[in-house]
Amino acid sequence: MKKIKLLIIDDEVEFAATLCQRLKLRGIDASDVHSGGEGLAVLTEESPEIVILDLKMPDMSGLDVLAEIKTYDPSIEVIMLTGHGSAGSGIEAMEKGALDYIMKPIDLKELLEKIELADEKRSKA
Amino acid sequence: MDAMTENSIRQEQIESFGRLMAGFSHDMKNHLGIIRESNGLMGDIIEMGGLGDDEITVERLKKSIASIERRVVIAANMFHHLSGLAHRPDTPYSFFQINDLITEEYVFLERFSRLKQIDLVLELGDGLPALYNDPALLQHVFYRLYVLCLEQLSSGLTLVILTSRDEKNAVITFRFPGTLQGSLEQPSLENIQAAVKKLEGILEISDNGKDHTDIRLTMPSLSVD
Repeated sequence: MKKIKLLIIDDEVEFAATLCQRLKLRGIDASDVHSGGEGLAVLTEESPEIVILDLKMPDMSGLDVLAEIKTYDPSIEVIMLTGHGSAGSGIEAMEKGALDYIMKPIDLKELLEKIELADEKRSKA
Repeated sequence: MDAMTENSIRQEQIESFGRLMAGFSHDMKNHLGIIRESNGLMGDIIEMGGLGDDEITVERLKKSIASIERRVVIAANMFHHLSGLAHRPDTPYSFFQINDLITEEYVFLERFSRLKQIDLVLELGDGLPALYNDPALLQHVFYRLYVLCLEQLSSGLTLVILTSRDEKNAVITFRFPGTLQGSLEQPSLENIQAAVKKLEGILEISDNGKDHTDIRLTMPSLSVD
């Protein structure tokens, strides 16, 4: 079975690196970067199928990064990470092309389900 | 001061507190997120019988433990300051040290600077007088002036907040490169001016030869009677 290629974009370095390691332990080909700009820069070399993207980052907003990812390759599935108390920002991201969103602190089981869903959607496309 | 202005100030004060709390909850979720992932990784390592190599496994476990400890310390410090900040309005007029007030609020401001990529520097002066005034209202004015300064700056620049003594008064100075766009008399700052008046403070701006701008808030100690 092929490994899912996944990219985590989150300015919280420890969070991104630890999540990345946990996903790798589950057989996912994950990597992490820590700014929106960095995330966009590695799109060509990393060619991720799925991106886990933080909504609030210092250099670029997650929504702007999402728009650029979708322009670059609409088939990349994006799952937004949000620290907001309400679902509003996550829903806004879905309206702008994100597959789904998940709230911090994340439940790994829930995230894995969303990753699986994203992978299925890509396989069907 | 008329009741309408008083109400407007009160409303803005609640709004400031709300914004600080929204930022605080974001920060807290990030700390909790790291704690949960680090703890989860340790669980994974135990469940999966290590990371293949003993040395790598021990190193990763140590890293996770350190990460959890660091985040708990940061979160505890934020909660400590939150408790102080939340209780300030309990006694509208009280004695306080301006440096303590700023240190308490600073923890909640760092996030806003970080997101705008502004370098925030705090330079607290020594020997400042204790003030008798309205600390909660002053923290609101301080937050609004900080936001005003952030709005003036583009990423990569530095905002310095200094405190000093001016005879019996304490002074807070916001220093940033360039000049202020607009003026302190602009309509959006009307309530801030009114709040400063209520504190019997003086808010002034000095444009230092276009090299940098100082927004200076001079705070007196009010009469206890």
